[in-house]
Amino acid sequence: MFLSKIWFFLVALAAAAALTVALVMPRPAQRQTDGEEKNRLGIACSVIDIVLADNARTRVALAGSFARAPKIVSALESASGAATLDESRMKQVRDVASDTMKGVSGHGPDFAILIDSKGRVVARAGLDENDFGDVVAGRPLVDDALAGYLRDDIWAQNGTMYLVSAAPVLRRDPPVTYVGAIVLGNKITNDLAKTVVNGLDVDVGFYLGNDDVASSRTVALDHAPMIAALGKLSGADLTHDCRNDNQFSMHAGAEEFTAVVGRLPGEAEAHQAFFTVLMTKHADRGFMGTLKAVQKSDVSFSKFPWLVVVGAFVIALGLGIAFMWIESDRPLRRLADDAVKLAKNERERLAEDTHGGKYGSIARSVNIHIDKLGRDAKSARTNLDQLLGPAPEGSLGTIDLLAGALPAARPGGSAPAAPPPPSDFKFHDPAPGSRPSAPSPAPVSAMAVPPSKPMAAATGLPATPVQRPHATPPRGSQTPPRPPTPAPVAPPTPTPPAQQTQPLHLDDDILEAAAEPNVDPYFKQVYEQFLAVKKSCGEPTAGLTYGKFSEKLVKNRDDLKAKTGCREVRFTVYVKDGKAALKATPVKEEA
Amino acid sequence: MRILLSLGVLSVMIAAAHAGTLVGKLDLPQTPASPQVTKGFLDRSENPFAPVRSIDIARQVVVVVEGEEKPVSPPQVMWDLVGESFAKPVIAAPAGADVVIRNTSKVPRTLVVKENAKLLDPGPLNPTATKSFKATDVGKSFTVGDKDAPHVVGHVVIVNTQFIAYPDESGHFQIDNIPPGAYKVKIWYRDNWLQRPDDDVNVSAKGKTELNPKIAAAAFASPAPAK
Repeated sequence: MFLSKIWFFLVALAAAAALTVALVMPRPAQRQTDGEEKNRLGIACSVIDIVLADNARTRVALAGSFARAPKIVSALESASGAATLDESRMKQVRDVASDTMKGVSGHGPDFAILIDSKGRVVARAGLDENDFGDVVAGRPLVDDALAGYLRDDIWAQNGTMYLVSAAPVLRRDPPVTYVGAIVLGNKITNDLAKTVVNGLDVDVGFYLGNDDVASSRTVALDHAPMIAALGKLSGADLTHDCRNDNQFSMHAGAEEFTAVVGRLPGEAEAHQAFFTVLMTKHADRGFMGTLKAVQKSDVSFSKFPWLVVVGAFVIALGLGIAFMWIESDRPLRRLADDAVKLAKNERERLAEDTHGGKYGSIARSVNIHIDKLGRDAKSARTNLDQLLGPAPEGSLGTIDLLAGALPAARPGGSAPAAPPPPSDFKFHDPAPGSRPSAPSPAPVSAMAVPPSKPMAAATGLPATPVQRPHATPPRGSQTPPRPPTPAPVAPPTPTPPAQQTQPLHLDDDILEAAAEPNVDPYFKQVYEQFLAVKKSCGEPTAGLTYGKFSEKLVKNRDDLKAKTGCREVRFTVYVKDGKAALKATPVKEEA
Repeated sequence: MRILLSLGVLSVMIAAAHAGTLVGKLDLPQTPASPQVTKGFLDRSENPFAPVRSIDIARQVVVVVEGEEKPVSPPQVMWDLVGESFAKPVIAAPAGADVVIRNTSKVPRTLVVKENAKLLDPGPLNPTATKSFKATDVGKSFTVGDKDAPHVVGHVVIVNTQFIAYPDESGHFQIDNIPPGAYKVKIWYRDNWLQRPDDDVNVSAKGKTELNPKIAAAAFASPAPAK
């Protein structure tokens, strides 16, 4: 069984390892997926930065082209020289600005502000068109434009944001002079947000503190985590905001997102302007999720090593069966065959040497018990011979004293304490105490029949006939009641010195008796067994009546009791010299 | 009553008749280009047609003439907020004067004095409305700004004189009605006195007294912290 146990251990170990692998494997995959999502989000955030910067470059270039428009140059040059700005000038300049805006191909600016060299607004187009004359110098974008710089910025006003660009307006004819500046602006809208994330498979939202400005997707997000993430950002380089370690999770209803916040530059930064790039978070796969994600193509022969798996299974199964057959089935079959042969009396003992391991131990144990039973039988026979001597010719048989073969249900004391010497007792002999259901055709060595009730039941037997040297007349009612039932088959004990055997002869007069008075079940049983054995031995049974038989038994029992002082007597049927014989065994009551 | 009023006007006329004028031009150093206050997605770039303008230092300079006399009947100093900036980014207010901030722009502003938040009444300063505070501590300066618009910033310094001038873009300045006598000329730049010796000047009773202070670039350095 050693190999089988080792094999079962290895199979269980392999199964546990396979289960561990199956449960653990989704985790690295999940980690890799999370990492890829983070990278994708970070890249998307950086791409949005790039797109916005590219958009700013386009807008600055457009502002430069506006600033070079001759009508705008002359209008601002004229306004810069005026002490005050009036409405008619405003309308004239506004028309110029509107016409210029209309000339822009594609998505042009939403508004334009024309500023003279003093920083005054000469006209506005597209937004607050009737306002003019206010001073916008002081705004960094305007100051830079008036100083000769082209640049972009983000303005936050009235709850929205504008991507603005500015360029200085110069009279390029000598002497070159600054005559003002022009500011172009585009409102940040949902459409702009969608344009920014086009093809990125993410969403973006623009915010001014807790206020929504625009987003590529209508989703109600909790601003708290975004503001918290915004508070953690520091450093002048805003492009670092898109780093993966700045990402966080947030919810919108049941939907979970991975998000990253990026600060928006320029004037709007003072208003907590920022954008959030968010991506729907994939659910954790886990073991079941991984199984659900398996596709049919994943288990096709081209992708899955079915031959290896099936081969491993067959090898494992074959090895397991082989080990079981070698270590369990085959030895068990051998032992069973051996036991059958033992039962058929084809052999006297189990072959211990041919059975290994536990089966050899079983065979040895059985053989030891066979030996013990044989010794018990031999001891009992020896005692009987000592007590009764050989049975005479022509008698019904001999009654032996068989201390070690008491039936289990036999009333009286326990078996003798000392083990009898080894005997030639056979395994197929009836076990002591067992009650044969039918006479066996095979030779019967000994058959112990336990009495079932007190011997007082046999008091009505007739007187013993002649030729019974050791027999005594029946004592009728004087017969003492049968003692208590002895213990079942017990380990052999030394025969007490007081225990003796007494030969008993059953004469022909017994056979002539016909009447069957009170029937003692125990004697009846012994009688039937005796009758059956006689028949099996080919002896005549005509005239062998129960009455005479039981009378003889009672007499012999009483004689034996008187002689040995025993408490009980047991009778055993056996075959001796091809004839049925009977043994009486005194049972001394245990102290 | 008429007699008293006539006497007052007469005394002023007599005083004016005995007051001088200080004129001059600040000799300012070559200034660098204006720094970039904010940045968009891109860095600013110079236009290809003309050199960019340098910082207009003169707009942030105040010339102060201090003498033995204390300011009398401190005037009210009006400080206009125009659009996205103050009309004068830096002003000087005589001690005891009321500094009145007037919003001439079209948007409300929420102004706060950085050094003393209680100096101005809280709440927005609506267009055409005013807010004021009294200048008391001589030598102290205040920074007034809009918390919603960081670019809207103005500086005010409290001085112990009423003779104050704001140079033009080229550095010229003029102070009228200065009683004759010896004075010290001090120059305030943004939020500090320039680090240079004060100019002494004797203002004559008649005519113009000219003073052309020369200012080195080192004067614009921030003063060393007091030990």
